[in-house]
Order: sequence, then C-alpha cells, then structure tokens
Amino acid sequence: MGSVEVSRATVGLHRGGIAVVDSDGNVTWTDEAWAVDDDESGLPRVAIGSNLLQAYRGYSDPRAQAIANAIVAVFEGTVTYFEIEHRPERESQSAFVTSVAALRGDRAGAVLIHKVVGEPTPPQLRPADARATNGGPTGEGAARLTPREREVLDLMARGLDNRAIAAKLGIQYTTVRGHVRSVVEKLGARSRLEAVARAYQIGLAT
Amino acid sequence: MTEVRYATTEQVLTTPNHLALIHYGDGEMREKVLDFLGPALDDPKQAVYLCGPPGGAARLLRFLERSTGRDLSAEVNERRIVLGHGDRDADQQLQNLLDPVRELCERGFALVRVVGPAAWEVFGYAAPEDFLWYESRVLPGIEGLPAAIMCTYDAAQLPAPALLYGALETHSHTMINGVISESPSFLPADRYLKTRLIHLPWLEPEEQPQEITSVREVGPARGQRNQTR
Repeated sequence: MGSVEVSRATVGLHRGGIAVVDSDGNVTWTDEAWAVDDDESGLPRVAIGSNLLQAYRGYSDPRAQAIANAIVAVFEGTVTYFEIEHRPERESQSAFVTSVAALRGDRAGAVLIHKVVGEPTPPQLRPADARATNGGPTGEGAARLTPREREVLDLMARGLDNRAIAAKLGIQYTTVRGHVRSVVEKLGARSRLEAVARAYQIGLAT
Repeated sequence: MTEVRYATTEQVLTTPNHLALIHYGDGEMREKVLDFLGPALDDPKQAVYLCGPPGGAARLLRFLERSTGRDLSAEVNERRIVLGHGDRDADQQLQNLLDPVRELCERGFALVRVVGPAAWEVFGYAAPEDFLWYESRVLPGIEGLPAAIMCTYDAAQLPAPALLYGALETHSHTMINGVISESPSFLPADRYLKTRLIHLPWLEPEEQPQEITSVREVGPARGQRNQTR
C-alpha cells in the first residue's frame, strides 16, 4: 500500500514521461516519451485498457500493483507511456511474470505499453459496442424528470451548453450541471448526447 | 478578422477559424502542427493554447521543444503558451477551451492558436458523441475572437467512419494532404445536432428482429427482364 502512495506522489512531480516498472516492482520515470513515440525504442507495443488495469489489480504481487499504479498514472494523464522491464529467467516463476511475457509476445526485452484505449464498459463505451447496451427509447425515466429537468433537457436538445442554459433559465451554472447529470441518469443514458437522442426518440424534444 | 499564416503552407485563413487536420499517423500530424504553431512561437503578439486528452498538451509542448530546440518554459510561465486539458464532461471540456482562449484574447494577444488532438476511447475523456457535440460548439464559442483552432484527426486510428464524418461536419475548414479547404460538409451547430448528431448509428434504438410467422414460396418474376449485353 505504501508503494501506491509513493508512486502517486512521484508521478505527481512529473509532467509526462515514461514510467519504467522493473521486475522487482520498482518504478522510475524518464523524460523520453517522444523518443519512444518516434518508434526509436523498437519495443513491441501493447494497448492499455481498463481490463488490463483490472487484471493487474487482481494480483496481490506488489510488482503487479506497481504496474497498475503506472497504468492509473497513464489514465490520469500524468504519465504518457511506460515500459515493463522483463527478465526472461524469471518468466516461469510466477503467474504475474507469465502474464507479462504474454503481453510481450515472442520478443525479448521490455514491453512498451502505450495508448490508453479506454474501458470497455459504461460510461466509456466504444462506438461499436454502444448499441449493444443501448436499451432503446423508454418513457420510464422521462416520467421521473422534474419540470426543471425537462426545461433543461429541452435546452440541451437545442444544443445549448450549460452556461447558456444557466443564462436562459436564470440559475447557477453548477445547478445546471447537476440537472444535466440527473437528466442523463434518469434517461438511462451514458452521455449528454445520448440523453438528447432519447429525448427526440420518445418525443420529449421536437 | 485576423489572418492566420503558416510557416510553410502558403494558404492563409482568417479568424475565427476551426480547422480539422485529417492526417495519417503521428509523423504527418507533427509536421502540420509545427507548420501551424511555428509562427506563433516566434511572435510575442501571438498566444498558443494546447489541449487534448489526458497528457496530450504536455506531449505537444515537449514535441514543440524538441522540434525547435527551444526551452519554452518561459512562455509557459508567462502564460503565452497555455496547457489545457479535456474532460469526461464535454460541457466542462468546452469551458476548459473557451475560458482560456477568451482570457488570452482579453490580454491583448493579436492571435490565439489552439491545437487539440481528437481522441476516442480514452479513459477519463468524453464519449464520442459528446466529443462531437463539443466540436460543434467550438466555432460559435469563438465568434468574434482572433482565434484559430486546429483539431487533429488521425484517419488511421478512427474507430468509426461516423467520427470522420463528424470531423468534416463540425469544422468550417479542413486540411487534407496539406491542402486547406472550406469543408463542404460543414453544418451549423444547431442543424448538426438535429440532422446528424442524434442519429449517430450507435445512438439509434436497436431494431428488434421480427418473428417469422410464415414462409411463402415466390415464383419467378413476371414481366420482361432488363436486357443486358
């Protein structure tokens, strides 16, 4: 647990860069993100998804936790890339190292994990997956909207941003934010625009 | 209106401007971004705002420093170069863009150049449809301001064609293969929302397959067939 706090404190001091996690779970940071991004490293690359984060969170091994912390740092934008140094001689000694080897593929040396690809579950669905969980138009959630929320939804459906809605209704910007969140939630939408689309689909907006 | 000149591209834009750079891969993106931002780095009367998904602005700054061989920390400290960030909430992301751009204009900069890489499927970032809504609100938000905003779209990375259409429909101009054009597909924000955005394929209700209740054998079509050679 201590290593988690140390890692977060350390990444907070760095703007961008690469987090390098060695096989002992030690995390160091470099400032060579662009060199890596220029493909100068020659390392195999693996995309990061939240499933990868969850996989590492699932291990009690502190090395896995260190990698999970580095992934979180990438998600939070404090680190853009990171490498996992891999020691082949330890490959068969633990499931954790084996999983790293699987990421690594057949290439020896380090694996460079890059590019946040998001989580495959709501609220960050990929477009191709979104339809699968889109329950379609429903009036159930709409019935729970308050009169003010309906006003806000109507203005959302006209394309107004929150600041413009606040000005139009004569209420605080932060109040509008709260109403928008509530509208999105009550309509079972994952995003502002899905709520607007549903409003059109069920006739709340024309 | 203020003219927006590029370092090497001879074409000139006027403000306010919202341009989509459609590129293939990082190499082309960096070349065009440098072409766009280069003149601002050498002109103290111009300001730069860098934004994008988490970590994007810092990466852009590092790229500029490496490409030009300059330490830009002084410009960052005096807020002639401002680093911003996106947000999961597209409305907040819009304010994150418009507030500093307005502030820079109010401080008297003759031109504010903005670069923001478009991104999808990024943790902590707006859903694609909300991102496109954000894009559609950018141009109305900078109306009357000496601001030019370049959004970079990597055509090699786009996960859905609808997003490329969105780029063409939400930006007044495009740059493709280094050529700047008015986007023939551009739609004003309100019209874009009602005719395109709410009809994105993944927002449409899923059609339920109809149960087949009977099968009828159909005979050969009657009448003359089209003659082909």
